[in-house]
Amino acid sequence: MNMIEVKGLSKSFGDLLVFENLDVEVKKGEVLVIIGPSGSGKSTFLRCLNNLEVPTGGTVIIEGEVLDFKDKKHVRDAIEKMGMVFQNFNLFPHMTVLQNVMEAPLIVKKENRAEVEKKAKKLIEKVGLGEKYDAYPSKLSGGQKQRVAIARALCMEPDIMLFDEPTSALDPELVGEVLSVMKDLAKDGMTMIVVTHEMGFAKEVADKVIFMDGGKIVEDGKPEDIFTAPKEERTKAFLEKVL
Amino acid sequence: MGWKGVFVIMDLSNLKSILPMLLQGCVLTLQLTVLSIVFGTIIGIIIAMMKLSDNKIISSIGNFYTWVFRGTPLLLQLFIFYYGFPAIGVELTAFSAAVIGLSVNAGAYMAEIIRGGILAVDKGQFEASKALGFTYGQTMKQIILPQAFRVVIPPVGNQFISMIKDTSLVSSLTLAELLRNATDLGSSSGNPWPPYIVAAILYLLMTTVFTSIFGVVEKKLSVY
Repeated sequence: MNMIEVKGLSKSFGDLLVFENLDVEVKKGEVLVIIGPSGSGKSTFLRCLNNLEVPTGGTVIIEGEVLDFKDKKHVRDAIEKMGMVFQNFNLFPHMTVLQNVMEAPLIVKKENRAEVEKKAKKLIEKVGLGEKYDAYPSKLSGGQKQRVAIARALCMEPDIMLFDEPTSALDPELVGEVLSVMKDLAKDGMTMIVVTHEMGFAKEVADKVIFMDGGKIVEDGKPEDIFTAPKEERTKAFLEKVL
Repeated sequence: MGWKGVFVIMDLSNLKSILPMLLQGCVLTLQLTVLSIVFGTIIGIIIAMMKLSDNKIISSIGNFYTWVFRGTPLLLQLFIFYYGFPAIGVELTAFSAAVIGLSVNAGAYMAEIIRGGILAVDKGQFEASKALGFTYGQTMKQIILPQAFRVVIPPVGNQFISMIKDTSLVSSLTLAELLRNATDLGSSSGNPWPPYIVAAILYLLMTTVFTSIFGVVEKKLSVY
């Protein structure tokens, strides 16, 4: 079954075309990694999937349901199935780690507080921050913040996780701890779409890789094909630079 | 004025008789200050949200509000509520006219302060909230306003201090607040100095106390 199906998706800001006519399918449990140079439209594409940007054309289908971007309530319900992790973490600075993770299930889903707390603690434990429940984000390292952000997204029990350059703002020595949480998640069967510059992660974890450049999908395929035998010149040139 | 003037100024012989009335004036001054800051904050939040709205009509109403109430004298606004409204059939007591006038005026200033506070919150906070499924109202209430709150504490403190002093304007609405009582005591005793000096000390005391209260709040909120 397709968890996400994107047909002919386009986005422009005024006269500036960001991407055009994208077709993407992600099956349940699949990990899709999107690579490409800066400004190729990868992040904007990801943001169009959960309504942070409204696409200018095409359709987004989440678990068989067409997103109607004009219907706010409907979009909100649909994107509840998706968790998002940002480059800059975007943790709530006025809340502790535990409060950060508990907030959305409590407020958005109106779940029972005791159960949310149990679930949140389990997730914080899972990302390796069991001793940090009561810490404020300002007291955490970048890698720790990003792991809290992942736990926060997971606490809404999403079917799909979107990662927008999750390690780009991190010091190199902190990248590993975040990637390892993401690998565990993939192993557990989470459907994931990851925009990243971490080629090692893409090779190891991705089921499918898309190379985007200039607002178009230049090439897509299995990671072993893309990384070892890219068909397109542009893909070759890009990989030579980053690998 | 000769050296005897010093005795006129420093004459505190009737302190005991003037102090009770001045302290009563302080109570009214504080009541007016607290009430109008509370109502002013509520008005300020609403106007700030209106000014930040994407809807042009709503945001222009908000802009119009601050334009009018920040651009005209507070005393004139007080006169309109106290003298103007009865002429169109709305009788207000001096106290309610004062509270309404001060709140409406404070609301215009608070709106600007709160708008600044909201704009100071990182836009990633809006995005994270949206991605987690929060409605706009939930985002404001749970995420944005609490963070804006911390940013606005110092300017709100300023506003509060100004308000303590601005309440003296309602002495012209016949309300027996601190300045009015000081003036009355001065004219009945023939020497305005003692009540005015004691009133000044009381104003300083009140502003000092509230300055330090806001200082404590600011410190408490900087835990993160």
